[in-house]
Amino acid sequence: MELTEQPSEAPAAESPGALAPPPGEAVVIRDLWFAYRGAAPVLHGVDFVARRGQITMILGASGSGKTTLLKLIKGFLRPSRGSLTVLGRTWSAGGPDPQITAATSYIPQNLGLLRNMTVLENVLIGALGRMDTIPSLLRSFPRDMVVEASGVLERLGLGGKDHLKVHTLSGGERQRVAIARARLQRATLLLADEFVSQLDPITKTEVMNILRTRSKEAGTTYVQTTHQLDVVEQFADHVVVLREGKQVLDSPAAGLDVMEIARIIKQ
Amino acid sequence: MRGVAPRLTQLGLLAVLVATLSNLGLLNLDLLVRGAGNIAVFVAAMFPPNLAVLERVSWALLETLQIAYVGTALGAVLALPMAFLATGTLFGPRVTAPTRFALAFVRTIPALLWGIVFVVAVGLGPAAGALGIGLYTLGYLGKLFYEIFEGVDPEVLEAVRGVGCNRLQLARFAVLPEAANGVLAQLLFMFEYNVRASSIMGFVGAGGVGYYMLGYIQLLRYDALMTAILVTLVVVLFIDWLSRRIRGLFIQPANVGE
Repeated sequence: MELTEQPSEAPAAESPGALAPPPGEAVVIRDLWFAYRGAAPVLHGVDFVARRGQITMILGASGSGKTTLLKLIKGFLRPSRGSLTVLGRTWSAGGPDPQITAATSYIPQNLGLLRNMTVLENVLIGALGRMDTIPSLLRSFPRDMVVEASGVLERLGLGGKDHLKVHTLSGGERQRVAIARARLQRATLLLADEFVSQLDPITKTEVMNILRTRSKEAGTTYVQTTHQLDVVEQFADHVVVLREGKQVLDSPAAGLDVMEIARIIKQ
Repeated sequence: MRGVAPRLTQLGLLAVLVATLSNLGLLNLDLLVRGAGNIAVFVAAMFPPNLAVLERVSWALLETLQIAYVGTALGAVLALPMAFLATGTLFGPRVTAPTRFALAFVRTIPALLWGIVFVVAVGLGPAAGALGIGLYTLGYLGKLFYEIFEGVDPEVLEAVRGVGCNRLQLARFAVLPEAANGVLAQLLFMFEYNVRASSIMGFVGAGGVGYYMLGYIQLLRYDALMTAILVTLVVVLFIDWLSRRIRGLFIQPANVGE
């Protein structure tokens, strides 16, 4: 893994220790290629910039490479070719960097919540990267961290549900728990895979409003894969479309017609 | 043509079965008739059970349970870290391969043979039995645990790994809680199995009710043997019932809420 520090002038969005991306650019992807070992390329020269404090939505049909792209940004996968700059750090050979990992939150399609743990415990998992190993293994979370987690849950409308097991919550509530976990991580970049795709229209709008408010207030960058054009129409600042691993659209969302996007996806 | 291959396979398997039965002497009608007669004599000699030995075999069975309990606990405590080291989603092949080899080696040797090894090492008695059962349990639970760990939803691992935690935290907060139901189920199964395995540890001088069972067989005291078998049966059935209750209390259906 080759890492080079890039100059950064922007202040950290949420915590003194968080990484500060260069002004305007949270993720810079240049001619990015990726292939699983021994297989044909999944991504072919993807090239775009996700700007700080904006909601970037990556669209495409199933198998177009959306999830793979998110995992590359997160550092779970290593690019085969091209360059990837995340929160001011560039690598070409790829590999997770601890600082970027800590500042980048990843929410998988099914949220990755622990069903046997309580809501509060699931949220506190977001703070593991900030804790020493031994106290964390003993589940001895500092008092201020627990207060912070409860406060976040309260603000997200989950007050009083701290000690419920997550499997007893509704779909929308579980999405909020995943958001709260990302908040505890103090991430400045949030990556989410098909985040609201399983929610009813009203809950979907509520959850997306929470994210939009956060991105505008705290400058959190938000990159989401989706196949839902109504979500794109209401909430996207920036749209990228992939078709069979190739980038076929990279455009500000303003002025884009969703029917045109649908046509590009299906073409 | 399509039906020929399966038919040939069936005929082949049948031929192998007949040849093996013959090889083992199980097609020898004379042997079977004589054996059935001996079994009848054996069973007749077992009844009525000799209740005079009830107290003695009950105490010995308590020792068997202690061997099984301590052996299971010891094996599980050792198996847990070994299983983490053998889990492919946590460590690379340079760690998992030697760990899996060590677990396979331990598992290859039957519990009774481990009992003999420890009788040599620590002398006759239940300590050898508990250590033998413990090592055998390590081999088995180690494999069962790492297979459960590798079955944990990769999305949960990605979500927790994504917060920037280390491998120990990942094991503690993602793998173990998600695998807890499976781990508990295998632990209970192993304890049930170990009660049975411990009941014959006495055959090699490693403590428990097996010592008396072997003695009663050698002395042709089949009525006393029957008492030992019945007491063991009652205890094994009780433990099976208890395990079911514990499973019902702690283990939730796998697909709740997801």
